[in-house]
Amino acid sequence: MHYLDTKANTFDAIVVGSGISGGWAAKELTKHGLRTLVLERGRDVKHVTDYPTTNMNPWEFEHRGQLPREIREQNPIVSKCYAFYEGSSHFFVKDAEHPYVQEKPFDWIRGYQVGGKSLLWARQTQRWSDFDFDGPARDGFAVDWPIRYADLAPWYSYVEKFAGISGNKDGLPNLPDGEFQPPHQMNCVEDFFQKQIAAKYKDRHVIQGRCAHLTDPKPIHFQQGRAQCQHRTICERGCPFGGYFSSNASTIPWAAKTGKMTLRPDSVVHSIIYDEKKGKAKGVRVIDAHTKQMTEYYARIIFVNAAALNTNLILLNSTSSRFQNGLGNDNGLLGKYIAFHNYRATVSGEYDGFLDKTTDGRRPNSPYIPRFRNVYKQETDFLRGYAAGFSAGRSSYNKQDGIGTELKDNLFRTEYGGWHVGSHMMGETIPKLTNFVALDANLKDPFGIPQLRVSVDYDDNDEKMTKDYMEQLTEMFTAAGFKNVRSYDNSKKAPGLDIHEMGGVRMGKDPKTSLLNKWNQFHNCKNVFVTDGASMTSTSTQNPSLTYMALTARAVDYAVKEMKKQNL
Amino acid sequence: MAAAVGGLLALPAWANGWTQESLKTSGFLTAPQEEILAEIVETILPATTTPGAKALGVHTFIEKIVADCLDPKAQETFKKGLAATDASAKQLHGKAFTACDATQRTDVISRLSDSDKSFFSQIKGLTVRGYTSSEYYMTNIAHYKLIPGHYYGCVPLNK
Repeated sequence: MHYLDTKANTFDAIVVGSGISGGWAAKELTKHGLRTLVLERGRDVKHVTDYPTTNMNPWEFEHRGQLPREIREQNPIVSKCYAFYEGSSHFFVKDAEHPYVQEKPFDWIRGYQVGGKSLLWARQTQRWSDFDFDGPARDGFAVDWPIRYADLAPWYSYVEKFAGISGNKDGLPNLPDGEFQPPHQMNCVEDFFQKQIAAKYKDRHVIQGRCAHLTDPKPIHFQQGRAQCQHRTICERGCPFGGYFSSNASTIPWAAKTGKMTLRPDSVVHSIIYDEKKGKAKGVRVIDAHTKQMTEYYARIIFVNAAALNTNLILLNSTSSRFQNGLGNDNGLLGKYIAFHNYRATVSGEYDGFLDKTTDGRRPNSPYIPRFRNVYKQETDFLRGYAAGFSAGRSSYNKQDGIGTELKDNLFRTEYGGWHVGSHMMGETIPKLTNFVALDANLKDPFGIPQLRVSVDYDDNDEKMTKDYMEQLTEMFTAAGFKNVRSYDNSKKAPGLDIHEMGGVRMGKDPKTSLLNKWNQFHNCKNVFVTDGASMTSTSTQNPSLTYMALTARAVDYAVKEMKKQNL
Repeated sequence: MAAAVGGLLALPAWANGWTQESLKTSGFLTAPQEEILAEIVETILPATTTPGAKALGVHTFIEKIVADCLDPKAQETFKKGLAATDASAKQLHGKAFTACDATQRTDVISRLSDSDKSFFSQIKGLTVRGYTSSEYYMTNIAHYKLIPGHYYGCVPLNK
């Protein structure tokens, strides 16, 4: 143990993690004048200057985007991720860097650097509704959420204005409207499909996705140093325009400007220190990623935003006389009720209209079909439902017959095929006691911290839902006049690749059945807050990041008020 | 363990900048093999009023991809194919492939499409890929823009 001057290591607040929710915690805490230590286990990544591939043309990559065989063979897990390629691989955790145990197949995709996965996310930002927050209580699973949409609505607005969200006000009760900048365009076939579905189904809708891209930046975005999205669609390399929201482009530099933030990269949090006398947490133990030296840091409040499973890991590893099975874990439910989004199935087809039309430019977004199953009442033999991504595109190609001048002529003459359409499901999964993470009793990671055992799997509800998605989207595609409609269930796709893992430290009303209260605050360790995916009681069908942002801003507001009242 | 931690910091070598010249050093092929490869790609996509595959460095790209990205079996197919091409030239025209004229080379490569299908489709596929992903092709023919600045969903198709 390395003891430093306690004063120098004492802050008002500590934030563990600098990803999408940690960045928000940092911004909100420093806004209130709190001296805030932000701990990030990975290296620093400064906006623009640390995006080494951001301005590279495709032909400037040594392997023109393809990853060398050695990297793929050494990294069978992360190589499965759609966004992992030559231009982005430096923002992903390699398999050997942080080993874990798969009791059941689980592809854990991680980004260890300042900004975390906020550099890599798909940037879809749909609000949740009361059809989501009511879900567990209505359908009898997990526990009742301790909040409803009305609790979060003002905070959605608050984070949306700052982050910058584009979209349409669609007026759908199950997908509330937000503070939107102008939407991206649909193309001819997407627009056609939208109208077809509106005409043929009263309760199904095709809308443009709401996404965290600046289409009409406001002064608040210029003040962040961000500019309008340029439609490059190479977002995962980091955006020099700040065209999409990331911690790096937005919240972290904003927090830094206050002069109140101390950002400490290369700081692997080992555990939270519990003060037995005072009955609350007093700080964190940090292992320096380079020297392996352990240092303690202290603060009045601690926000744990290490990303869902790592937040579980840190809390499980935070043992004390009071909490022998992990921080706040009196009921033994820490690490339990993990859930995710089921992305297994896709449906594709072709359309033979609009052959005189095409698209121009690129779009970092696509249309979205909000959940229509079991929304108002239970109508199928499975619980809950799925949203779906949807997009259409015009294919162009070059004939490749011959060699010599014939082949060359073919390559210089672009032909247009018809339009193709595609959809993927995003299914809500039911949090269960049997889907859990735990610490391995023997295996350690390179920092001497126990490895995480992950035991998460699909269930019968997911199987039925997958089948229904394929049937319903096939029906909708067929009804719209699409041809060659094909559905595909990639049943070998393990949980994890959705990168929407949630739960383990769930919110709830009752300390007997949940870990956090309605303020994302531990029921029994009041100065520790969890506002990332770990806190989620259920998963909804919407992409979760926007909800983490709103929960974080709301929890900080509460924490600061409690500090002023001397309750924390 | 140390290597794993070091990996947290390491950026790929190419992130620090590379050039066509720096790619030359892979050593996967011998100099004579490289010459054969260069003439094969030039035969598949020759210089006309527009650049041929050789001028665009397609052979350099292919050597890099085969060496770094393909599995050992595909590498073997590739190396054997180069040798078979040369042997075929000697048999058909009594000289090395690189010594053949353009007509003779085209003859040799055309016959490969029957005699060595796996190599032919591999080398043709890689040549097309290298050519169409080159700066010349992507900027002048595919009109790739790093920064399009827009997306228009429904525009007339200009043939």
